[in-house]
Amino acid sequence: MMDVDYLTSQQGSASVLSLQGIKKSFGAFQALKQISLELHAGEIHCLLGENGAGKSTLCNIIFGSLKADEGQILLQGSLFQASSPKDALHHGIAMVHQHFSLIENTTVLDNLLLGRSSGVLNRQQQASDIKNLLKELNFDIDLNVQVKDLAVGEKQRVEIIKCLIRQPKLLILDEPTAVLLPHEINALLRICQRVAERGCGILLVTHKLAEIKQVASKVSVLRSGAIVDFSDQPIQDIDRLVRSMIHKESTDGEVQLLKREVSQTRLVSPNARPLHDEVLQVNGLSYTDPSGVKKLDNVTLLVNKAEIVAIAGVEGNGQSELASILSGMLDATAGQFFVEGQDLTHASPKQLTQFGVGVIAEDRHDTGCITPMSLAENLLLNHLDRYSKFGFLNRKKLKADAEQLMHRFDVRAASSAVPFGRLSGGNQQKAVFARELTLNPLKFLLASQPTRGLDVGAVATIYNHIRDARNKGLGVLLISSELDELLAVADRILVFYRGTIIGEVHAAQANREQIGAWMAGQA
Amino acid sequence: MQHRQIVSKSALGWQVRLEHITMNIHSLFKHPAVRLLTLLLGVSVLSLLLSFLIVQTYGLSFQSAWSAFVDGAWGSPYVIGASINRALYFALIGLGFILADQAKLANIGAEGQIAVGGIAATALCLYGGAAHLPHGIAFAYPLLGAMLAGACWGGIAGFLKAKMGTNEVISTLLLSFIAVWLLYCCVQSESLLKQPMNTSASLPQSLPIPDSTSMPLLFASSGTNLNVGLVITVLLAFVIYTLMHYSRFGFHLKSVGHNANSAKRAGMPVFSTIFLALAISGAFAGLAGGLMLQGDQQVLKTGFSSGYGFDGLVVGLLARGSVLGVFAAALVFGFLRSGGINMEMVAQLPSAVVLVIQGIIVITIAGASRWLSKQEG
Repeated sequence: MMDVDYLTSQQGSASVLSLQGIKKSFGAFQALKQISLELHAGEIHCLLGENGAGKSTLCNIIFGSLKADEGQILLQGSLFQASSPKDALHHGIAMVHQHFSLIENTTVLDNLLLGRSSGVLNRQQQASDIKNLLKELNFDIDLNVQVKDLAVGEKQRVEIIKCLIRQPKLLILDEPTAVLLPHEINALLRICQRVAERGCGILLVTHKLAEIKQVASKVSVLRSGAIVDFSDQPIQDIDRLVRSMIHKESTDGEVQLLKREVSQTRLVSPNARPLHDEVLQVNGLSYTDPSGVKKLDNVTLLVNKAEIVAIAGVEGNGQSELASILSGMLDATAGQFFVEGQDLTHASPKQLTQFGVGVIAEDRHDTGCITPMSLAENLLLNHLDRYSKFGFLNRKKLKADAEQLMHRFDVRAASSAVPFGRLSGGNQQKAVFARELTLNPLKFLLASQPTRGLDVGAVATIYNHIRDARNKGLGVLLISSELDELLAVADRILVFYRGTIIGEVHAAQANREQIGAWMAGQA
Repeated sequence: MQHRQIVSKSALGWQVRLEHITMNIHSLFKHPAVRLLTLLLGVSVLSLLLSFLIVQTYGLSFQSAWSAFVDGAWGSPYVIGASINRALYFALIGLGFILADQAKLANIGAEGQIAVGGIAATALCLYGGAAHLPHGIAFAYPLLGAMLAGACWGGIAGFLKAKMGTNEVISTLLLSFIAVWLLYCCVQSESLLKQPMNTSASLPQSLPIPDSTSMPLLFASSGTNLNVGLVITVLLAFVIYTLMHYSRFGFHLKSVGHNANSAKRAGMPVFSTIFLALAISGAFAGLAGGLMLQGDQQVLKTGFSSGYGFDGLVVGLLARGSVLGVFAAALVFGFLRSGGINMEMVAQLPSAVVLVIQGIIVITIAGASRWLSKQEG
């Protein structure tokens, strides 16, 4: 960890927020380790970090949703710890969350007035105040429009205005661009600049480099709960900052576990492979969602036998849509995909399963299992054909087989009859793997975010399952936003950005900097 | 502690024994059967007390009301048979309800499904040639028609739900209104089911169904009028039980009910599961309509279903997914309704008061069963 004392030493006169030695743990997990940070009036301070680095925790502590275990917060030079978001708002701290908190069926004006007035509401007075503010900031938004009719970017602007009419000293934006389209992002960044010019301090949480280049006056890099790098000339230092964001300390215990395991197949160059060796062939797949946003744009990729192809990328760049299409849950707008030469573009989940496509769903609880039902039932959810005769289920055999699977895949539970939801995340995921890996036939495995939320031990088991599947000759498509996971498991890495493949590299030649840059949209 | 040290040895032993006894009593009260009995006692006392108050404030004699209730509900073998026949309607509707409930679908349109079942059964009995069939089939054929009609009515809601996600609570309820008015139309027009105008007082109702098509009695020689419906209902209860617990369809129902997305991913037929759940549920209510017509009503007239559908819904809710629970609740409702009718006729209690009393009893039972399930965790 880098010494960050120099940060606190340069206390300027117009310091808005000063964090000193903030620590926060959740159980045994240390989310924040001694965070110190200085924010001045009129500057845009970017907080850069990967998923799970502790950015949101930090924001929530400043905003009063969480309490720090140790350390102090100075607001304009005086000690302050918000006891609740309401308290924070009262003291001039405003926050725009990633997910909006607007009431869809009312007008913009009503949303803005919400919670602003006590007692009698002087609508006209308030409305004219808001209009003046909007004029000052050069905002263009119709106050009488219903919120549900607004585009995403406009809704976010309403959220920001909601904060600004409180005249905050500090504005926190938690990954505000994650949901926006490119032109909306530019508009947002311009607004940020204008707001900062008025003397407001802005803390912008992001992992997109373009934004930093455009607006940041200072950048702090957060990694595993600690500030590991700082720059007040972000444009010059951008490469260094990216490196610090994704660098992993080699002394870390779990690296052992994540170490690459060299497979024989990986050494074979793709050109040397025999023809027709591909298991999955995705051909110009596109998907446009009902609101007209192109989530997946002409994606073409191949997965060969005995190969793990990984898809990297910041979440929300089309990976989920690709996974949904490949698992039969979503219909592609254009393009096809083939498994062993068979066109399965419009196949139902059942047909996919019968053809030998195993799927580890991204959101286990939404599409992977049925939590109130028993472990045995979940273990054999898509194997029912084997247990039914004339419409009746052979429950005895189902239970016996489930117990065998529990044993084989080390799923720990009191019995096969416990509700699936009572199992730990690791055991749940092991059960899902048990189910999908025992499909007969099995030709291709799609694993989306297979280790999300799992503890280290379970992660190791899951990696072993994925590698075993590859070693048995299966094609594996692994979708993950964990860079370490990809580097440890994959044979080939593709990077998704805005629904297209922006880069491809063999894992052996992969380096974090290159992948990080691709993930941030730098081709 | 100090107190204990002071008491003598023998007194201490006595105290321990007392503690032991109280603990035993305590654990006795925790026994499920004892708990159930206490609960039933409490429910009876509470509802009797409330009914007593209502009847008294209404200025009538509670004594005569009570004896009328008893006479009507279980006073003679005949009325016991009638009460059980009524209970069967509730049981059928309740069975259909808990089946759909497995898929987290609420079929609240039983009233209308009864109506279409009744219409279909009447049409088949009078004009569908059922009367000419051999004895064993003559009554069964209209019943099958009633089931099919109910299945169609429930199936419409099922189709809408599966295809477009239309809320089945709304669709079954609205379809129920349509069916009830459809029945009204049928008995108003002679070109439909209204009896021909050959008597001076031609009421808006159908002709009575031929004798050969009414439900055969189980024990014709004895005084009860228990009919074959009992056998049919018990058989169907076994069918529902097997469907729910041992069939693949039951597995699908549960899966779709808990998580349709996962069910779809696992290759289950989500569409047909939803459609069938509501269609079968409707078929059961339709069958209840057929039984009603070919059992004690014999003619189709407006107000034919007279709230059985909604009471059956309550039976299904009270049963909490258990087939035995359906029968328990259905019997309570069957006896309540028989007794209530007699209270109206003999003790001159206005039907509104009878309904209020019935409502109180149902609410007490519902509250008690809620308490019981909470105790069981």
